[in-house]
Amino acid sequence: MTKTGDKSCINLKLKVWRQKGPDVKGRFETYKTRDVSTDMSFLEMLDVVNEEMILSGKDPIAFDHDCREGICGACGAVVNGRAHGPEKGTTLCQLHMRHFSNGDTVVIEPWRSRAFKVVKDLVVDRSVFDEIIQAGGYISVNTGGAPDGNAIPVPQAAAEKAMDAAACIGCGACVAACPNASAMLFVGAKISQFTLLPQGLPEAKKRALAMIGKMDELGFGNCTNEAECEKECPKEISIENIARMNCEFFKAGFL
Amino acid sequence: MQWDLNWFICTLRSSIGKKLIMALTGLGFCIFLIAHLAGNLTIYAGEDAFNSYAERLQALGSLVVLAEIGLLFFAVAHVFIGAYLFYENFRARPERYLIKKNAGGRTIGSVTMPYTGLFILFFIVLHLIDFHFVEKTDQTIYQIILETFSNPGYAFFYIVSMIIVATHVSHGFWSAFQTLGVYNSEYMSLLRVMGTIFSLAVGLGFGFLPIYILFIS
Amino acid sequence: MQLDSKIPDGPLSEKWDRHRFELKLVNPANKRKFKIIVVGTGLAGGSASATLAELGYEVMTFCIQDSPRRAHSIAAQGGINAAKNYQNDGDSIWRLFYDTIKGGDFRSREANVYRLAQISNNIIDQCVAQGIPFAREYGGQLANRSFGGAQVSRTFYARGQTGQQLLLGAYGSLSRQIAAGKVRLFTRREMLELVVIDGKARGIIARNLVSGEQEKHAADAVVLASGGYGNAFYLSTNAMGSNISAAIASYRKGASFANPCFIQFHPTCIPVHGTYQSKLTLMSESLRNDGRVWVPRNPEDKRPPDQIPETERDYYLEEKYPGFGNLVPRDVASRSAKVQCDMGKGVGDTKLAVYLDIKDAIERDGRDVITEKYGNLFEMYEKITAQNPYETPMMIYPAVHYTMGGLWVDYNLMSAIPGLFVLGEANFSDHGANRLGASALMQGLADGYFIIPYTIGGYLAQASLDTVREDHSAFNESSLQVETRIKKLLSIEGKRTVDDFHRELGHILWENCGMTRKDKGLKKARGLVADLRAEFWENVLVGGSGKEFNQSLEKAGRVADFLDIGELMVIDALERKESCGCHFNEAFQTEENEALRDDENFRHVSAWEYRGEGCDPVFQKEPLEFENVELTQRSYK
Repeated sequence: MTKTGDKSCINLKLKVWRQKGPDVKGRFETYKTRDVSTDMSFLEMLDVVNEEMILSGKDPIAFDHDCREGICGACGAVVNGRAHGPEKGTTLCQLHMRHFSNGDTVVIEPWRSRAFKVVKDLVVDRSVFDEIIQAGGYISVNTGGAPDGNAIPVPQAAAEKAMDAAACIGCGACVAACPNASAMLFVGAKISQFTLLPQGLPEAKKRALAMIGKMDELGFGNCTNEAECEKECPKEISIENIARMNCEFFKAGFL
Repeated sequence: MQWDLNWFICTLRSSIGKKLIMALTGLGFCIFLIAHLAGNLTIYAGEDAFNSYAERLQALGSLVVLAEIGLLFFAVAHVFIGAYLFYENFRARPERYLIKKNAGGRTIGSVTMPYTGLFILFFIVLHLIDFHFVEKTDQTIYQIILETFSNPGYAFFYIVSMIIVATHVSHGFWSAFQTLGVYNSEYMSLLRVMGTIFSLAVGLGFGFLPIYILFIS
Repeated sequence: MQLDSKIPDGPLSEKWDRHRFELKLVNPANKRKFKIIVVGTGLAGGSASATLAELGYEVMTFCIQDSPRRAHSIAAQGGINAAKNYQNDGDSIWRLFYDTIKGGDFRSREANVYRLAQISNNIIDQCVAQGIPFAREYGGQLANRSFGGAQVSRTFYARGQTGQQLLLGAYGSLSRQIAAGKVRLFTRREMLELVVIDGKARGIIARNLVSGEQEKHAADAVVLASGGYGNAFYLSTNAMGSNISAAIASYRKGASFANPCFIQFHPTCIPVHGTYQSKLTLMSESLRNDGRVWVPRNPEDKRPPDQIPETERDYYLEEKYPGFGNLVPRDVASRSAKVQCDMGKGVGDTKLAVYLDIKDAIERDGRDVITEKYGNLFEMYEKITAQNPYETPMMIYPAVHYTMGGLWVDYNLMSAIPGLFVLGEANFSDHGANRLGASALMQGLADGYFIIPYTIGGYLAQASLDTVREDHSAFNESSLQVETRIKKLLSIEGKRTVDDFHRELGHILWENCGMTRKDKGLKKARGLVADLRAEFWENVLVGGSGKEFNQSLEKAGRVADFLDIGELMVIDALERKESCGCHFNEAFQTEENEALRDDENFRHVSAWEYRGEGCDPVFQKEPLEFENVELTQRSYK
């Protein structure tokens, strides 16, 4: 389409985690990349590196990505010790190279958690999140027969709070960032969304017990209220949702 | 898990159940700290005041024993479940990060929680030996305190310990309410402020005693 | 082969009801004996999988992503239309129908579009019941906003993440059926072949993207909901993984491809800024509700936007289309932006952008109100461009966004291959030559929740299907085809990477088969695409092996198919000697430079039938009958 002179370019040293498969031992490999435009996104930078690697007969770095606009939740890596890189409320695909300086060493690691097995390099298996949702992260309503959309009013504030929680993209950054690799923010957000809406209340008890039970089974760590998840969440979902989940769990478990 | 069977135990055995026990026992210790601090503050009112406080406390008799048993029970639960959680959390990430940076959520209190906890356990044992199980027939508790704290090394150890307790409490206090399910963000910010005030009160209230005693003796 | 659209008789408003009554039903006890394969887990595929499983069918669902929740429907921002008339502003099913038909420049089927408008209301009810946090008024009622191509407020939304929320609703319903054991989910699987036995679609060959192994899956019907082909242009608003392979594989097996040249260019995207760029980011069209589009009157004007006085700004949409102003349909808005840039009035470094200015709205409503509506969009814009939209006008330019064309389907959403159903963007059915904003979500969910459950039953009830197992020779043949192709791709070991070819294809299509088209350019493009394809099969460098997680190989297969659809697109554009909606052939325009239709000769769907490698596809015509609306020159003045 159009070609523009790149305004500013930087050189970087990449230290990337390479791992052939889930049961193979991984290691870091170092690559030098030159003339990275600061207008590039982080993943575009990796694209360029990969293209050079393919041309020189090497195995390119595998990484998950899809929408590249911060909503599908496919991408993610720990960059220099930060999930999705150093910017607040940003997925890796939205991180731009203007946040790096010439000569930087960039360490790129996959999400690390017992529950997320490495598939290859930076690609991890997050199907455990699907399992948690399958345990109860929905309202059991068959298609057809729903009452009119306006039949049950939903207070605006509740709808907004539900939306705050529902914004989760299931990327797994909360688990990656948590010092304990806990999935409570992910689970808390889904439970909160449905607790805040009248449509979700009939199943609230069952849902809380089932989802939390499943989460416990899958090998995540426990929450110690460190709030790292909230700080790294690309959608900035609050740990208030974890508190709400706790509350729902007690209501369901004791009452 | 079978939720309908042994539902109560099941609830407590889950990750959030364990957190709940940590929170409730932790808050129990916070209440104990308030009572303990209130008692200790009578030292500032002089020897008589402090001794009479100690006597009145003793006079409660079986109530005190009950409270002590309760605290012991709390301590066992807090320590063992805490240790188990620590183990589970460690296990949840078999391969560690080469670099992991704080994103802004963690505090000194939260990062050091297991370690400050372990230290506090050690301190409490010492503290009980020094002041609780000490032979009190020849001297009043006030005299024992005076004597122990006049050793500058001990005083220093005690002050450091109190800073560590304050650090532990700085995370523990608000964290307990978060675990209990206080999801209202206004209340939560209030509780965070209260947590800071509480940990300062504990740190300063207890920690200043040896300095005061060094000063008066 | 004659294409029979199977549109039921009777008055427009009764067709769907009557058809549902006439469709044969499958006995509830028999439903579990039928296996259905669903490819794709976007709004259409996810909702279809869930609903078919609820009805009792055995469903197998496939997606290329690691989770069904990541399908690209998730990126839809603005909203979903429904004819609820909650705002009491004169909306009705008829008006939604009419707007959609007119918006599509009278190149869609009346019956399909009317059914879509009818179903739109059920979709909202269903989604609310699923716990989708739609925006609400203070009184707790559902809120609406207006969208391009309509003069009523009928768009329901959940901030700028409507697609995400609707998809997660469908994903939740799907998850429930997976838990119930009614759906078997296959993630990281790519459908590479359709298996046709006795002229009916009976299964697929999928590649496990992690292990590289091929899997054969037999079924009684196959439902494709695999999205559109916008990525043929390399740069588009589609996700990186969005591809046409499943549909092209079906096309090669006999499913006709309809209207491939109908490609929507979304007017409000963040402009291109470099050759390494991998995708274009959309800014919701809802911004045009409050934003004003302008360029400097003087092409030589190099001043920053805030220093250009009001009188020297050309609010070209408001001036040219006072009736709809900034809310004209997407094709009109996109083409107008291109016209301004072609006149040299474009802004920014590349001169390929126009301003979208939110300043007046902030002054009118206050910053808080505007932030509430568009805050997340502004944040996204700032992340990408490092410019603050509150202070300086955003720069936008059209980008490839949606493909109205797709596999040809009849009223039952069944393709030319019996037993192969096509839903959502993958089919061609409802949008004609241009899709209105907030209609894609509506169509995807209508197809999945409310149409396919009935029509597939009608097919299964009357088709006499023998039991077919994966060891049938047709599966082995298809599997061999896949194997051969993968081996071929890997064995070329040429000099150019897959992306390199893809970029070049995108460039050819953008230049010659883009927002405006000329016969000369199209003819040139046809040759260029053919040459590029020939070079691809001799000089591509893939690397790695076929028995592992190999993202370069995945891309290679997809680009090979984009080359095919690219050619088909150009062939179709050449055949359609008129302008309509998004298809703007410069030879056919009104005095005011609007698209000039030729209803006499081109009031039809152009479908293309595959005739083997190296042969030209065969043109098939499905005439469009308009009994209820008058074909007029679209006017948004």
